[in-house]
Amino acid sequence: MIRTNKLLIRAILISSYLLLCAILVFLISGILSYLNTGADRSTLLHTQIHKETVYTPQLSWQDNGNEGRPISQQVLNEVENNYLDAWYIKQVAYRENKKTGIEDFYTKNARKNLYASINNNAKNNTYIAATTLSHQPDILFYSEDGQLIVLEDKAVVEHKKVFQNKKQVLETTEQSDYKHILLLEDGFWRIRHSVKESTTPFIKKIKDTPADSLQIKGINYYPQDTPWDMFGDDFDAQIIANDFELIKKTGLNTIRIFVPYEDFGKANLKEDKLEKLQQVLDIALKKQLKVVVTLFDFYGNYDVLDWTLTYKHARGIVTKFKDHNAILAWDLKNEPNLDFASRGKENVVSWLDYLLVLIKSIDETHPVTIGWSNVESATILSDKVDYVSFHYYEDVEQFETQFLALKKHIPNKPLILQEFGLSSYGGFWRPFASSETTQAEYHKTIQQVLTKHNIHFMSWTLYDFKEVPSSVVGKLPWRTNPQKKFGFIDADGKKKASFEFICE
Amino acid sequence: MHKHTNIIFFCILTFCGLMFGQQKETTETQISLLSTQQEFVAGNDIVLEFKTKTTNFSLYCTNSYGSILVNHTPTDKGIAFALPTFFTQKRGIVYWKVFQNETTALEGNFHIKPIEKSESLEIYLGPPSIEAGGKDFTMLVAIPTDSLDNPLPKNTPVLINTQFLAKEDKTEVTTNNLIAYRNIYAPLQSGRMLLSTQHQEKNSVELDVNIVPAIPKNFQIFFTRNHSYADGNQITTFYTSVLKDSYNNVVSDGTFVYFYITTRENAVLKTFGQTVNGVAKAKMIHPDKAANWSVKAFIDGISESNSIDINYQQAIKDFKVAFTNENAKIKVGPFQSFMNQMIPDGLKVTLTVSQKNNVVKVYYRETNKGFAHFILNKNFYPKGNYTIKIEAAGLVKTYKNIAL
Repeated sequence: MIRTNKLLIRAILISSYLLLCAILVFLISGILSYLNTGADRSTLLHTQIHKETVYTPQLSWQDNGNEGRPISQQVLNEVENNYLDAWYIKQVAYRENKKTGIEDFYTKNARKNLYASINNNAKNNTYIAATTLSHQPDILFYSEDGQLIVLEDKAVVEHKKVFQNKKQVLETTEQSDYKHILLLEDGFWRIRHSVKESTTPFIKKIKDTPADSLQIKGINYYPQDTPWDMFGDDFDAQIIANDFELIKKTGLNTIRIFVPYEDFGKANLKEDKLEKLQQVLDIALKKQLKVVVTLFDFYGNYDVLDWTLTYKHARGIVTKFKDHNAILAWDLKNEPNLDFASRGKENVVSWLDYLLVLIKSIDETHPVTIGWSNVESATILSDKVDYVSFHYYEDVEQFETQFLALKKHIPNKPLILQEFGLSSYGGFWRPFASSETTQAEYHKTIQQVLTKHNIHFMSWTLYDFKEVPSSVVGKLPWRTNPQKKFGFIDADGKKKASFEFICE
Repeated sequence: MHKHTNIIFFCILTFCGLMFGQQKETTETQISLLSTQQEFVAGNDIVLEFKTKTTNFSLYCTNSYGSILVNHTPTDKGIAFALPTFFTQKRGIVYWKVFQNETTALEGNFHIKPIEKSESLEIYLGPPSIEAGGKDFTMLVAIPTDSLDNPLPKNTPVLINTQFLAKEDKTEVTTNNLIAYRNIYAPLQSGRMLLSTQHQEKNSVELDVNIVPAIPKNFQIFFTRNHSYADGNQITTFYTSVLKDSYNNVVSDGTFVYFYITTRENAVLKTFGQTVNGVAKAKMIHPDKAANWSVKAFIDGISESNSIDINYQQAIKDFKVAFTNENAKIKVGPFQSFMNQMIPDGLKVTLTVSQKNNVVKVYYRETNKGFAHFILNKNFYPKGNYTIKIEAAGLVKTYKNIAL
């Protein structure tokens, strides 16, 4: 007994000694590796310049030659960068009423004029959040020694929100022609003189695009294994093709997919993501499905200074796919009204308004819609969209009344019930809340109404999901678990009772 | 001043107002613009007067540099907005909106003209030096501005004065796109041209442009030396004719001229000089043995000279060699030059020790007071017979079977 105890004590002593050593080694190595961080030789010289893309209004150079010396593409690029930076710095200065950065892009004499306005606004408790949406710069003159440029910028569309005492008092959009003299000073093209030559109110030109004659019977689609991440690393064209085949067989004719803003590279679109989107559209075309492409998924800034970046994103995608025959409509944003509380209704709506103008100016053939999350919001901008889309997750019995009321309010535009559905979850977190039978009953009921009034519809969603990213409904289990069970097909690939009512 | 300008422009402006007036009136808000002036001169007071019964209007204004809000002051007819001074001073279109509760009631615009009196003439000249000959040019850009730093309107005349040697010139150019410019071509002669500009009574500062000579034409080279002996000591100087461009301008001082010397053995030696008053000089030490040089000079990539030949006669006819200390000490010399004088120190002497055609060791010495001394370390050499070869000033002497 004593012997065993002795052995035990010995073993404990030795192992605790070993443990202590291990902890010490771990700590010391931690300190050493911490001290070594930042010692990477390649970072010593700061040879890389990290330039963030901050301002990307639509810009088209007028390539019609200039007086003086011929200008090279490289100089033109430098002028473009500095000129746009000058605008951006100016917008930031007017927004914050601070002078940071002005001296880099305006010469000593020109800055005085900006400072005067900024001081005046600061004194009056006024600030101006502004951006420009498009520029048509033209080099009129480039001096022989390469130090002076006269630049004309025509049809500059400026959007401004004027705030006084922190309250928005005016929103204005103007179209102006400018002439600037730029001087090359210590490597920067700086504005020496600015002369505004004309200003008119900007008139939003929106042409209605006729809606498709198709009676939309659709579904919101995510692959089962990659919900909310359709174009990620696990993208599999074969799975998508099989799913589309299945959707087509049920009698549905349309799908709705989502293009995440950040995942696609924000203003600088990623080529590989566009390639994946192209594949999805091509498959849809092959399987004779129409696609509603929802842009700006997971985007929620709407700040005026962010507009040019988002618009560049939209320009890129719409320009690339505007001739694709699979596309039924562009959906500008999923449920933007959910951001009204946090971002301000005015900001969100004016962002959508100008996004709509932009997309319609590029693509004249495809109709445009906005996926409002409820019936009440559907009237916003309803005179400008081609389809009015809304989502409905409320009481199914109330649907017909609510729909008819909306129809009465917007009699001239086709309405789409763009999302609806019921979770079949009735587990631990919400016991007896629902079941597969309840879900089937729900779809049966709503389909009767849809058929009765010939309503365009797109249900949510094909599959039950195993995981739902926290960015969708958060992390709380009583919210994520129901969210997983909206499908017509369960997690194991078995058709649920509701599948019978997927299409009429 | 203000009043005066108002009267002058009144007639024109009512007309302009009719043509270009862009005010829109909305009936609900009951506000109308009373001011009819559409064009103002920078720096003058600008007051927009409105007829209205309600007074909670604000004015939004935007000009070339920024946007501001203006608070109203009540008048007997309604309200008036006086623009702050800094806003009235900049040339360009001012666009305005009168609004209340986020709704625009009236909008319009007016034009601020620069003061038609030049206060300053910013001028930019470049490039600062150009090549004579009438092809190259420099560009003078002038930005005439008024006292409030506004560029003057289109077609403002700017006088450009140039002075070069005895010639003075005046040309008038007019502004377009905010600036006036002129290309000034180089004259045929090199020198310094002075330029200035003038608008009304306002003169700019004086600027100058350097007219540099054009590229030189081909040229001649010459040489001079003390004597023609190859003594390895004296120096031969090469020099060029006066380098000139095709308009007879002497090239700029400091032009590099490279002299390439090709020897009889096809070795190439190079020396160079920079021009002073058009002449470049370069030097080369005499060879230490008879030689035949061919010399040609170049200004790289631009022009070249004729080729000249130079001969050097052998200066050292012969030398003696003395072996002492059982051949361990070898004294070479005396070396005597063309007048039998001892040659100056520094002639290179090479001594090669070889055995059965295998070189064992090579020694180099320079002469000192006419002699070169070699000491061979006997411990180094296994006992035997060696061949010793001594070379100096192009002469070779060989001694066979020297026991070491």
